[in-house]
Amino acid sequence: MLQDILVTGLVNGGVYALLAVGFSLIFGVARIVNIAHTAFYMLAAYCFYALQVKGGLGFVPAAAISVVAVTLLSVLCYRLVIEPVREHEAAVLIATIALALIFQELMLFSFGGHYLGIPSTLEGGIRVLGVSIPYQRLLILVVAAAMLAIVWFVLYRTRLGLAIRATANDLEVANLMGMNVQRIAMATVALSVALAAVAGVVVAPVFVVDPFMWLAPLVTMLAIVVLGGLGSMKGSLIGALVIGYVEAITVFALPAGAYLKGAVALAIMVAVLLVRPEGLFGVAFEEER
Amino acid sequence: MIRSAMLCAALALSSAALAQGTLKIAILGPMAFVQGENHWAGAEMARDEINKAGGISIGGKRMQIELIRGDTNEIQSVPDATNAIERVITRDKADFLIGGFRSEAVLAMQEVAMDYKKIFLGAGAAHSKLGLNVEQNYDRYKYWFRITPVKDVDLARTLFAVMNSIGQQIRAELKTDTPKVALLAEKAVWTEALVAAAQKNLPAMKMEVVGTWQPSATATDVTAELSAIDRSGAHIVFTMLSGPVGISVGRQMGERGMKAVAWGINVEGQKEEFWQAAAGKAQFVSTLDTYAEVEMTPKTIPFVRAFKARFKKAPTYNAATYDAIMILKSAIEEARTTEADKLVPVIEKIEHVGTAGTDTFDKRHDLVWAVGKTAGIAVQWQDGKKVPFWPPNIKGMQPFKMPAR
Amino acid sequence: MYLARRAWAELRNEVFVLPSRTAVLLWVLALLALPVVYSDAYVLRILTMTCIFAIFAASWDLLAGYTGQVNFGHALFFGAGAYTSALMSHKLGITPWATIWAGAAVAALFGFAAGYLCLRLRGSYLSLATLAFPLIALGLLFAFPDFSGGELGISGLRRLALTPVTNYYVAAVSMLAVVFGLWAIADSRFGIVLHAIRDDEVAARASGINTLRYKLAVFGICAAAAGLAGALFAHYLRVAGPSSLEVALSFQVVIWGIFGGLATIYGPVAAVFLLYPLTEWLGSFKAFGELRLLIFASIVLLVLLFMPRGLAPWLRDKIEVQCPRCKQRNGAWRSVCRLCVAPLQTQVTRPERLVGHQ
Repeated sequence: MLQDILVTGLVNGGVYALLAVGFSLIFGVARIVNIAHTAFYMLAAYCFYALQVKGGLGFVPAAAISVVAVTLLSVLCYRLVIEPVREHEAAVLIATIALALIFQELMLFSFGGHYLGIPSTLEGGIRVLGVSIPYQRLLILVVAAAMLAIVWFVLYRTRLGLAIRATANDLEVANLMGMNVQRIAMATVALSVALAAVAGVVVAPVFVVDPFMWLAPLVTMLAIVVLGGLGSMKGSLIGALVIGYVEAITVFALPAGAYLKGAVALAIMVAVLLVRPEGLFGVAFEEER
Repeated sequence: MIRSAMLCAALALSSAALAQGTLKIAILGPMAFVQGENHWAGAEMARDEINKAGGISIGGKRMQIELIRGDTNEIQSVPDATNAIERVITRDKADFLIGGFRSEAVLAMQEVAMDYKKIFLGAGAAHSKLGLNVEQNYDRYKYWFRITPVKDVDLARTLFAVMNSIGQQIRAELKTDTPKVALLAEKAVWTEALVAAAQKNLPAMKMEVVGTWQPSATATDVTAELSAIDRSGAHIVFTMLSGPVGISVGRQMGERGMKAVAWGINVEGQKEEFWQAAAGKAQFVSTLDTYAEVEMTPKTIPFVRAFKARFKKAPTYNAATYDAIMILKSAIEEARTTEADKLVPVIEKIEHVGTAGTDTFDKRHDLVWAVGKTAGIAVQWQDGKKVPFWPPNIKGMQPFKMPAR
Repeated sequence: MYLARRAWAELRNEVFVLPSRTAVLLWVLALLALPVVYSDAYVLRILTMTCIFAIFAASWDLLAGYTGQVNFGHALFFGAGAYTSALMSHKLGITPWATIWAGAAVAALFGFAAGYLCLRLRGSYLSLATLAFPLIALGLLFAFPDFSGGELGISGLRRLALTPVTNYYVAAVSMLAVVFGLWAIADSRFGIVLHAIRDDEVAARASGINTLRYKLAVFGICAAAAGLAGALFAHYLRVAGPSSLEVALSFQVVIWGIFGGLATIYGPVAAVFLLYPLTEWLGSFKAFGELRLLIFASIVLLVLLFMPRGLAPWLRDKIEVQCPRCKQRNGAWRSVCRLCVAPLQTQVTRPERLVGHQ
């Protein structure tokens, strides 16, 4: 049973890490509460489904087109919808909720409420420590690691990353310093939604695709980012692994309580918020203290 | 202004309809989803067949059937369902109500229908409470009858009957005395009794229960549960799943190459889209079901074929709205009236050869359970097709297959 | 007789002078008189639900708009009230007229608990924590299905009143009482303190206000109002189920609040009265039915972009104007303030030569 927990926790944690990377960037670093983040993930999954299953394109072109299309859409949405109300935090929340609902309804209308399955990119699996892991999940782990590395590189080794961190820290001063705040915000949104789209293309084959698939990951992502600490990529990775392991332990230790794994993750998030709002590795900003 | 115009139009329509002799039947269901689609499709088939034959005859006068579409959206919102049923009763002046799917919503809708004393034929919700209400407060709830499915406790009887049959096959093929069964039930009220019954009955059937796993009904990932089940060495995974977790189970069992076979209730597994939703991996997943091209009654095969030809997909159990309308027709023609109070005793005594089985009602206005009559059938997914395999003596049944070891 | 004259004087001087107050008076009269004129059961059902949700929305506004604690899990209190009232009336046999108050009380306890847990949190952190509370509560409800009825909830509850018209009046009168009560709280000194807490809590603390007490109190009051709404909802639908705790309901009240206008109380109420019947009416057309939520979300988005403070303040600014000197509101058609006679619109005339002989 121990090997099961070790392997399952790692694999599931990897899935969550990939989903959390983009969300950590937009929410943790840029402090834009984008409720529609997982809705973009859903759009990318549907786009990938339509291109690969209905259109018959190969994996690479379908994935590339999905990611690019969703990213462009997100920039458009940001310009039209979020930017005008950027200053009112509550308005941003509502605008993104409304966007997410619009995407959900559009998908419901176009594809129906049925559950759809995307074929895995890699078939087959291997046995590690006596536990069988499908190749698709290993692919997810690899992609997650790659995405994390890329984001870390962009944030800490490029000027754009520096600008993103600066605007998140203090928007007014960054503006005064001469940075084009609008463009940086668009770049942040584009980057984070691109990550969500990549997750949609790689992770969606493991789960089912339906118009409501954006709700459950949203809550888990919030829990992970809060646990890991807003503003820290490393924190989000650790948070994802922690939540993955906690869920695996819940299922293995308490099989009849397997349905509680969601509530346990949330309880952890609440506990973290109460005891140490910055999370494990978070960077708390002055106004938030 | 618009409201009064609509009211005038509705009144005009209904009075015109009365003059011509129209019977309004409201079909209530989540029309954007598979269940509502099947509700409507089954009803349309019944309406067209009856109207083409001249309509329902009440003592010499002929009445055509008019269907009213009531989109309850019950999967997403219970108040929407009660709004919809009130609308079809008061605005659209429905005479009879058929449909429903989500038990929580149907319980609320039942209250509204009983307030207005309209006959409400259930075509989707299995919860016993709906029938219990009839027994406990007959005068209020007598207008409710459940056409499909059989109530939840009777589903259990079918499940164990088939489990026995599969157990025999495993004993023969794998040369093991006590097949091992893993219980995989979503956490829900309807599975509580089933899980308890399984834990009690299976040892008595000479099968060992190796563990009980209860994921959430909307879980999209069951790797942890399946890993544990793998390790336990189970031969059969007894599934009690109604939500999308059924798809995840089918797919992930296939992806892991599990040697155990899944049998039980897997509502997603009853749908045509299941194979695609599980990305073609759900080989050997078996589930309780209602419709297949087998001769449960002389009407089954023609109905299923006609349904497939018209709607390009196989019917789910919700399409029994067809049977519901046929039962109404028989009852109205026998009682020579459309008054609810007079129809209730007629329906209580009816024995209707329907499309899925032969329907009779008990004192809770639930279907009387009997193998070959109303117990349903068992199907298994083999190479992208649902293959019926139980009850084995009915014409059209094929053998049950298991993963190679 | 004196009372009648006094009432008339009040009306003339306080209510009719302002178009917004006159509109509110007309709306109250219309609500109360509706069943006499038009007693279609379906319309009454829609309006009863609207009144119940209006209580819910107004309670959220006091919490989120005035105090700045944007609660993303307000459905917790709604569900707490619903389940408490359902359990007590179903299992203990107590009359619903008593259990709805018990529901409100238990919801207030949940409010205190939630407020206590969220004391140190602010902004997005508070929203996230409150988002999690109803989900955890749902998990607990599913863990004890014998008690809570699991995914089915508790059904077969007794009605508060027997006919649709009486039910409507119960809901409408409760709504008017609660909404006006909340508005009175918001308009009083208590409300000013809440504004202060929202704008700058540190400064409020520095001024000697015990913000902890105020924050807990407002959580309790709003939770009680939401719990009352939940209890009324349960007894009207006759089912108290997990649908009263779902995330969609919490999001819905946030949308109503912001659409109608934060920190106004009447804004969210207007939003509910506008949006709920509209979405229901759209849903009754086959073509629109499936697009209902889509149209709803689009409307919300448009309002947010063009009227960022909400619909009600935008409308109000079209028909009323604030006097620059005494800060009181006046009808927009007036040229001088009704109270201090100051000119309302400063005219920008051509620049005159003020020096030299005229």
